[in-house]
Amino acid sequence: MAQMRRLLTYQGVEIWRHTKVLQWTLQIASAILVVVLVAWFFTNIVTAVQGREIPHGWGFMDREYQTPIGHTFLPYESSDSFGYALGAATVNTIVVSIVGVILATMLGIFIGVARLSSNWLVSKLATVYIEFFRNVPLLIQLFFWFYIILALPPVREGYILGGGLFVNNRGISMPFPEATAFGPAIVWALLAAAGLVAGWAVYRLLLVQEAHRGRPMYPLWGGLTIAVLIGAISWIVVSLAASDSPFVISTPVAEGRFGNIAGGFTGPAGLVVLIVGLVTYTASFIAEIVRAGIQSVRRGQIEASRALGLTPMETLRYVTFPQALRVIVPPLISQFLNLTKNSSLAGAIGYSDLTNVAKTMTQTAPAVSIFLLIMAAYLAMSLTYSIIGNLYNRHIRFTGN
Amino acid sequence: MTMAASQMPQPQAATGGTPGERLPPPRFEVGALGWIRENLFNSWFNAVLTFVSAAVIVLGLFYGLRWVITGAEWTVIGVLGGQMVIGQYNTESSCPGQNCFWRPQVALLLATALFGMAWGMAGGGVARRLSIGVVVVITLFAFLPYSFERMGMDVRLLLVANIPALLLGWAVAHYIGISVRGIVIYAVAAFIVAVLLMRGLPGIPGLQPVMVSNWGGLTLNLLLAVAPISLSLPVGIALALGRRSNLPVVKLLCVVFIEVFRGVPLITLLFMSQVLVPLAFPEDFPVNSLFRAGIIITLFSSAYMAENIRGGLQALHPGQAEAARALGLPGWQTTILISLPQAIRNVIPAIVGQFIALYKDTTLVYIIGMLDVVEISRAFIQGNAQYLSNAKELFIFLALVFWVFTYTMSYVSGKVEEHLGVGER
Repeated sequence: MAQMRRLLTYQGVEIWRHTKVLQWTLQIASAILVVVLVAWFFTNIVTAVQGREIPHGWGFMDREYQTPIGHTFLPYESSDSFGYALGAATVNTIVVSIVGVILATMLGIFIGVARLSSNWLVSKLATVYIEFFRNVPLLIQLFFWFYIILALPPVREGYILGGGLFVNNRGISMPFPEATAFGPAIVWALLAAAGLVAGWAVYRLLLVQEAHRGRPMYPLWGGLTIAVLIGAISWIVVSLAASDSPFVISTPVAEGRFGNIAGGFTGPAGLVVLIVGLVTYTASFIAEIVRAGIQSVRRGQIEASRALGLTPMETLRYVTFPQALRVIVPPLISQFLNLTKNSSLAGAIGYSDLTNVAKTMTQTAPAVSIFLLIMAAYLAMSLTYSIIGNLYNRHIRFTGN
Repeated sequence: MTMAASQMPQPQAATGGTPGERLPPPRFEVGALGWIRENLFNSWFNAVLTFVSAAVIVLGLFYGLRWVITGAEWTVIGVLGGQMVIGQYNTESSCPGQNCFWRPQVALLLATALFGMAWGMAGGGVARRLSIGVVVVITLFAFLPYSFERMGMDVRLLLVANIPALLLGWAVAHYIGISVRGIVIYAVAAFIVAVLLMRGLPGIPGLQPVMVSNWGGLTLNLLLAVAPISLSLPVGIALALGRRSNLPVVKLLCVVFIEVFRGVPLITLLFMSQVLVPLAFPEDFPVNSLFRAGIIITLFSSAYMAENIRGGLQALHPGQAEAARALGLPGWQTTILISLPQAIRNVIPAIVGQFIALYKDTTLVYIIGMLDVVEISRAFIQGNAQYLSNAKELFIFLALVFWVFTYTMSYVSGKVEEHLGVGER
């Protein structure tokens, strides 16, 4: 018995009372449980796939998809492969996500600031907006916008605003720059990007100099001038070299008996509904984040900056906003992620986003592989936003010096 | 910029009059005039804003009300009627040869009695206002101007019966007395009885089984919200504690679970559950679509809940746990009695926000072919082309219905926070 007891002790404590032993037993048990569970699911799936002759594997990726996709930003034809179709659908989701994030941030900041306005009427209007859009399911809002667009007149009787903006029940068409030839366009785009980088460098340089010398150096104007100058000069050079300007503005024109619209960029109804719905919905959340961020800045900070002689605008720019940003950025990033994930509701209003295309694909391709791919795609998008957000957060955080 | 201007102290007008004499403040600085000056016209910029927003409001109200009264056709809501509440549950195909509508109605009575118990135990306040409000609304439904063929006397009587059900619940709690544990046990039992009632039991006359795929309408939304809401909080707490634990394996499992479920849209998970889960279980494994959707929504929501609670735990001063340890509390008691209550109290708005998000997310079950209130409305519009132009009215109505539910939730959460004194202690 004593022998037994000594065997069952570790570091002089009975093992059933030793914290470390207990903890490790718990961990190993939970690990085994999870492994067994996953293995069980996996064997079930494998048995089902083999027994019921369900398609599996990755061979489908090179096969022709042979199904039309409603709208893609990349050129797509039915003869393209499954892999390319999935890629095109991913690009759709990414474009919706980026455009949505930019517009929702702008609208959200506007409404958040309006909510804090000293003007009673403005602040109440913003509150009503936030309380309504935040508390109604996005799906209902999307259907609402969808049926609004459906109620618009057809192409031939649609509204034409300012000569170039077509609004009708098929969507919105607008003027859009179009490359005349691939070579000059890409050369100019690269040069213009270089100009932007140079302009940013000049802006940083002037900013440092301004702080150093203590007199205004107009960094914003300097940077902008450099960027615009480089862009304009390279435009002229490329135009002369290629004897044609690299981009022309293509304006939509209604043509034909049925009033098809040629030229410009046409956002189909589903895309317009999706972006409008996502932006108005997410903006209500962003507005609350912005409000909380601005309110988190202590009153003393603003009073001190006023006492130092900064104007209200300068106070907002140099005192309130940088401090509010630290509170705003982390939840803002999670709203960007929510917007991206909510774009998967596109299927309900007939837009071909990643989830919708993948859902259709499961009828002709192995569901398991498709799901692994779209999960990977969404996780990658989430991760990208998180990394960018965290880098920016590190850049603006309080360093305490 | 308006914000910055508002936070500046306004310069005080110089006071006139002879020294020693107390003059009343100028008329335009106090009262209604003063309020208008202070809140609407304190600078030229604000004056412009006031005029612009007043124009927006007046035009919006004018055209909006004109459309609501003369332009809009609200009949579509009446035509859809009971389907929005219960979906295809009471149709001839799902419940042949008998009237099944009394079953969800009895389930509603059980829920109303629960409201009454909460009122009786709390003794008033928000519980009383909420339960009376709910029962008044339910009772008003009994007087809808439908014909008796469309909405029978039995349906109306069972709606009115919610008043005695509420009073009975209140009386039990008030005169006999019931503990919180008793209420929780009653709630769980009532939920199980309600689900069994709606599912039906084979072999018992009057309780003919109704396929889960025929459940629908707002009832489905509420069922899919209630169970996951009650389950996602404990699961989320467990995940949050796991993520903060110093056991590497447990921590890793929790982190992977939370990040995967937070990184993928719910709609994808739901669809995956429909295609993959039947493969992952043996063929004869009895899992129905409602149960699957409930599990997926619970897991998805608890991943978010875990992050909310982790935030609350992180905001807690370490001195709290240290003091508890110094007083001799073992680790798990420190967590349950000291850390968690304070952490949860601090993040009540985030938790209720997650509840609201979950409730809104129940509309996504359309992806697995369940006819919740939104999907049944959409299907109705699609199937009846003559109502296509009235879709706007229908979805505005649905938006209002959901808004009432979610706004009530945030109202109650505000009251609970007030009661617990968040931000005061």
